[in-house]
Amino acid sequence: MSGLTLQGRNRLRLFGLLSPVTLLIGGFFVAPLLIMAAYSLAEPGMYGGVEWNFYPDSFGRVLGWADGSNEEFDIVYLEIILRSFRIALLTVLVSLLVCYPVAFWVSRLDARKRNFFLFLITLPFFASLIVRLYAWVLILRPSGFLNQFLHHLGINAELDLIYSETAVLIGLVYIFIPFMFLPIYASVEKLDRRLIEASQDLGASRWQTFRKVILPLTMPGVAAGSIIVFIPSLGNFIVPSLLGGAKVLMIGSLVEQQFLAARNWPFGAALAMLLMASVLVFLLLYVRSLSRAEALEGRP
Amino acid sequence: MMRRLGQNLLSGYSLLFFVFLYLPIGLIFVYSFNGNPLNMMIWGGFSLDWYRSIFGMANSLADNVQYIESTDQLLGSLRTSLSVALITALISTVIGTLTALALARFRFRLQGFYRMLLFMPMMMPDVVLGISLLIFFVNIGIPLGKVSIIIGHCSFLVSYVFIVVSARLAGMDTRLEEASADLGANPWYTFRRITLPMILPGVIGGALLSFIISMDDLVITYFISGVDSTTLPVYIYGMIRRGIKPEINAIATLLILASLLIAAVGLYLRNRQPAALKAEDSHGS
Repeated sequence: MSGLTLQGRNRLRLFGLLSPVTLLIGGFFVAPLLIMAAYSLAEPGMYGGVEWNFYPDSFGRVLGWADGSNEEFDIVYLEIILRSFRIALLTVLVSLLVCYPVAFWVSRLDARKRNFFLFLITLPFFASLIVRLYAWVLILRPSGFLNQFLHHLGINAELDLIYSETAVLIGLVYIFIPFMFLPIYASVEKLDRRLIEASQDLGASRWQTFRKVILPLTMPGVAAGSIIVFIPSLGNFIVPSLLGGAKVLMIGSLVEQQFLAARNWPFGAALAMLLMASVLVFLLLYVRSLSRAEALEGRP
Repeated sequence: MMRRLGQNLLSGYSLLFFVFLYLPIGLIFVYSFNGNPLNMMIWGGFSLDWYRSIFGMANSLADNVQYIESTDQLLGSLRTSLSVALITALISTVIGTLTALALARFRFRLQGFYRMLLFMPMMMPDVVLGISLLIFFVNIGIPLGKVSIIIGHCSFLVSYVFIVVSARLAGMDTRLEEASADLGANPWYTFRRITLPMILPGVIGGALLSFIISMDDLVITYFISGVDSTTLPVYIYGMIRRGIKPEINAIATLLILASLLIAAVGLYLRNRQPAALKAEDSHGS
């Protein structure tokens, strides 16, 4: 060791620090994804296995083209994918509308109260996910809390919300709301109050102030929150399975079915590849919009 | 006048938001003490019977209203969860900390690549992680069980530890390390006496975070847990899918209390950071 130069010794140290993570992520994250990609292009075998022939039809099947197991043109999978996108977008929209005003309210409190409410918002993130979803099963099912509560108020609505898109939407908003709130809050807190006052002094209406001053300045938080909520919502399968039942399938549920029930692994892998590709596209768009925003800010 | 009205509306809206956040959790808590054996949605007096039932203790309920199949299964899944989470937290904390040190203290060409590589597992949908690991383990021949779960959890939790420890390293004064090196301490001694104590809150925070996420992970574990190595969330998921039973409320309440306790410890440690730094500063001078 003493024969090594300083640079050589530093190299060795860096190599030692980085090899564990390289082995871990390379071996158990990158390699599995590559094998999954290979599976998505392999032919499904007779009894749940795979035949190693090039077989792009799994991707065609997603779009509805006929293949060995689907005799006719059928857009059932396309419908499920479109529904996933619709539900994920609605989740983003609803949690945005819910969080935005509350972020302003929290930012105007005095320091002690503010910290307390921020603590309250982060806390559910640590509480078990399955338990938080289970709570909504209790609330939304026909004999559940919501109908009983309405009954007490004298309203016999007999809502049957569970196993509907609304139930899935509520569940997704509920579990991902801290991820939307915190980025928005961060940009609201940074907002320079003097800019708002200046806008009002110059005669702008409240709506104009919001649209021309407040909204553009809090946009980074809105964008970050939206992407962090959109991605896990799109691929979720626990929420549709507990609150959507068999009626509201999403891409994630479809992948699960192909792996654990239908045993068509190549088709499941193809669906997972599409899910991964859409996530990467959205991330890329986000990163590009970030660098564009930075370029704009750098402009005099 | 309008302004006051707007303020009140905003406050009311925000309070509703917090009710939305906590009402569901509160409901489970209340229902878990409901002694009504036939309809758990109707209050039948305070009772600890469901808690007794999940631990297999005798209770005043008739045997035919005990819904849990076996306490052994429940406790077994709890044991699996705890051991998986402990080992996962240990491994991912060590590797994540080493990685954070490498990226913070060295300049090298692949730095950007490594940052991206560590970012990817956090952004990948759980279901993709789960099934790619399932295909991988089946093909490589690693049997599905505790080992596969631990490997799967470490492969994405190392990123979380990396982020937490990196944040800590970024706020650290490098002059202390330089001074230690200038005074002739070898790198290991500097690490043990200077760097480690200063980043310790970050390391502990990362360990707690990975412990909690590992304990709570459902989707990835669902795909890569074997038949006889069910974790607690997977077990509860199975229970809920078979039907709503009052014991689930008691288990859920205990689980929430446990994770809130860990979270509170974590947040307390984070708040203590400035104090710890001050103590070290005065110690150093």
